[in-house]
Amino acid sequence: MPRITVDDQQYEVAEGRTVLQALDDVGVLMNGVDIPHYCWHPKLSIDGSCRLCQVEIEGMPKLQIACNTPVKDGMVVRTQSDKVATARKSVMELLLINHPLDCPICDQAGECKLQDYAFDYGVEHARTDMPRRPAKKATELGPTIVFDQERCILCRRCVRFCREVPGTGELGVFDRGDSSLLELFPGSKLDNAYSMNVADICPVGALTTKDFRFKIRVWFLEDQPSVCNQCSTGCNVSAARANNKVYRYVARRNDAVNDTWICDHGRMSYREFAENRLTRARVGGADAAYDHAVNAAGEALRQVRERGGRVVGVATPFASNEDLWVLRKLLAQLGAEPARFAVPRGPADDILIRDEKCPNAAGARRLGFTESSEPVGRADLAIVLGHTTSCVALAGVENVISIDAHGSELTERAQIVLPARTHAEYEGSFTNWKGRAQRFVPLVEPTFEALPMGAALAQIAAAAGLEGWSEPYDPRRVSSELAGQVEAFAKASLAELGDQGVELPS
Amino acid sequence: MLTEPFVKKYLTEHYGDDAFHTLAGYERAGGFEGLKAAFTRKPDEVIDVVKQSGLRGRGGAGFGTGLKWSFMPKTSDRVKVLVCNGDESEPGSFKDRIIMERGPFQILEGLLIAAWATGAGKSYIYVRGEYKLPIERLRKAVAEMYVRGYLGRGVMGKKGFDHDIVVHSGAGAYICGEETGLLESLEGKKGQPRKKPPFPAQSGAFGLPTTVNNIETFAHVPYILARGVPWFRGFGTEKSPGTTIFGVSGHVERPGLFELPLGTPLSEIIQHAGGVRRGHSIKAVIPGGMSMPVLPPSQLDVKMAEEFLSERGTHLGTGGVMVMDDTTCLVRAMCVIGYFFRDESCGQCTQCREGTGWVHKICERIEAGRGRASDMDLLASIPGMMEGQTICAFADAAAWPLQAMLKHFRGEFEDHIVRGGCSFPESFEL
Repeated sequence: MPRITVDDQQYEVAEGRTVLQALDDVGVLMNGVDIPHYCWHPKLSIDGSCRLCQVEIEGMPKLQIACNTPVKDGMVVRTQSDKVATARKSVMELLLINHPLDCPICDQAGECKLQDYAFDYGVEHARTDMPRRPAKKATELGPTIVFDQERCILCRRCVRFCREVPGTGELGVFDRGDSSLLELFPGSKLDNAYSMNVADICPVGALTTKDFRFKIRVWFLEDQPSVCNQCSTGCNVSAARANNKVYRYVARRNDAVNDTWICDHGRMSYREFAENRLTRARVGGADAAYDHAVNAAGEALRQVRERGGRVVGVATPFASNEDLWVLRKLLAQLGAEPARFAVPRGPADDILIRDEKCPNAAGARRLGFTESSEPVGRADLAIVLGHTTSCVALAGVENVISIDAHGSELTERAQIVLPARTHAEYEGSFTNWKGRAQRFVPLVEPTFEALPMGAALAQIAAAAGLEGWSEPYDPRRVSSELAGQVEAFAKASLAELGDQGVELPS
Repeated sequence: MLTEPFVKKYLTEHYGDDAFHTLAGYERAGGFEGLKAAFTRKPDEVIDVVKQSGLRGRGGAGFGTGLKWSFMPKTSDRVKVLVCNGDESEPGSFKDRIIMERGPFQILEGLLIAAWATGAGKSYIYVRGEYKLPIERLRKAVAEMYVRGYLGRGVMGKKGFDHDIVVHSGAGAYICGEETGLLESLEGKKGQPRKKPPFPAQSGAFGLPTTVNNIETFAHVPYILARGVPWFRGFGTEKSPGTTIFGVSGHVERPGLFELPLGTPLSEIIQHAGGVRRGHSIKAVIPGGMSMPVLPPSQLDVKMAEEFLSERGTHLGTGGVMVMDDTTCLVRAMCVIGYFFRDESCGQCTQCREGTGWVHKICERIEAGRGRASDMDLLASIPGMMEGQTICAFADAAAWPLQAMLKHFRGEFEDHIVRGGCSFPESFEL
């Protein structure tokens, strides 16, 4: 392993990496070692054209670009010398001579690398008042992205992304010299399943999503780490919240899961948190207070138990590991068979999108639940989480207790309905298809009474007079219980998952 | 068609012979002696001979040819490639054109010697798209070579030595004369230089190990092999042996091509071209193609070889000498130069894309009489922001002319600003 010295600090780095890659591997790039860069991106091919990452390397007369210079054992790199500072200043000044400087009306302001680096490394005053390069303003590249050509600094991250990740190659830089312009290839549109990633990687305000554009200034937002629940990949996201609302997802880097990408469908799924919500508990078709519904459910369970009736548990692969553990515990206590669950399926690709359209089928399997969408047969009571199992499958059930965040055919049919929280509203974990447990955190607080599914189950159990359910539901406690009881989840307690998740033994 | 050079040595000796560009004519004039001589040596020995000859690349950078060949991997499980750079896009250069037109077999023979030396199995000759006749002549020459068994399997009956040559037409971009921009263009991509590493010898044309040399460079090689190192070193200087074809253009009585030994004084070359046009005096001379720093009249004694020119802050480049007389407005000249580089920058690197445009706009403003006092410092600061910091040498090539103009002719720029315009008659359009 080569050792390199960067600003008097030694690092052991991997063979065959470039300086920027090596520092990124170690985790210090722009996090201790400041080498600003535009065109370089950890998950795209090296371009080497923005020239901002130039550093001094001992023994080399000229500055070298850190993104493309291979590490060598004993290499000495200086990132903060006068020569480097001068080069950065030059690049920043030159990038700005054709930039409109329209930050006050630019939606990227506040998270713009051009703005940030101009402040950190640039010049204070412009030395030119010449007209800027003529370019288009606010044009549509496709159904998802708006393009402000005049703001583009031609880093070509988006060009490389489209070629290298979805493989669709819609974008190119046309013409040359200072007439160079980013454009769509004639006759094409930016319309692929991953198109909105170009907004994430655009360092400036040239590419923005139609969805988020002008909704809110980013400095009002607070980012929270979360996980997409739209398929079993479990892409890591940063959820931006303000005013008790989620405004957007952007892809959050996790090299073991989604690199730095997310599909457009998953990105837009944040909107589902607020759509078609169950806001009131119901008993026998009529709105009811939450407590009343819990008591009714507990009473129904107690009665079936007393007369030795059959209780079936139906899980949903949208529930957290912790929710599912509570269901398993409850069913075991009732002497019922293991819960069953149905997995919604759909089209997949070989990039990120999986055919299992739910986040936690792997968790349900690891907890010993039975995957089935067959009818459950005759039963006296079904405790149903979510609605991935159809009404048809529950046709033989007399009483259905439905715990769900969203309204469905099933909640219409159920005798007792308890509103649940979405995964944006509590803490928990999912297990993705690779067996990686990943944590999500509460982003917003529901404005009506709703509980995590596990908490609702616990209250029903308590109301039914079952033993051991008196403590209030706490996801952290439940998860450490799960970790203690089920070998497969031994490393999956919420306190230990962190932002990158943990690979569970298979 | 160009006329033959006015002064000839070995390279252009037969350029008056109208059959020299045919295989029969070339062989009649003693062609392929170099290749035959190469075949009597081991490949490594051929590289050594070229190294000892001191032949330097004639494309502008003046890199040692033998050394460059030695960078090719000795063993490779993939075919190795030679690329002959006939893009000749440097303004003021027109020497490669006459070699392609008059001596295409010199190039092909040089390529085969290089192929023997480096183990290359395929060559591409990349020719500037506007060069219709050179492309035609090269294609005919290649076709004749195949018919005669001088190309393809077993070149000249040499078992196990196979070589193919493809003549490829460019589409007209200055940057495609830069060796890796050329490779991108050859592969059918937008002509943009590649970052290094990897270097062409590791991964060049189509990802294969590649050596790129200029047309004239290959054309010298047969003579070195046929006539020997001491003979070759009889021309030129210790550090820059051999001749080159100087192209002289601009305000001279007899513009044209002149094959002269490297190290010939600039003033002598201009004399060969009939001197500055009658009734005028020389004001400035660009010694080696437009990207090379300009020289004032006081420097015309300089010997035209890299080691002497670099002492004067300029370079040999392609040996394209451009003479400007006392009627020339150098601010206007700088506008033309600035426009060229602005238009031809590939646009990848920030400094080059933005710097070339900025320089041009400021020069135009000064020439138009809208210059500001602060423009002098501004203009002087930009070359330093561009030079030595980009993927290829284009930004340097764009920065140097301005630096030299300001060094030698700053007063003329200042005068434009003070006067609020240009006092020269409009000698050429902008």
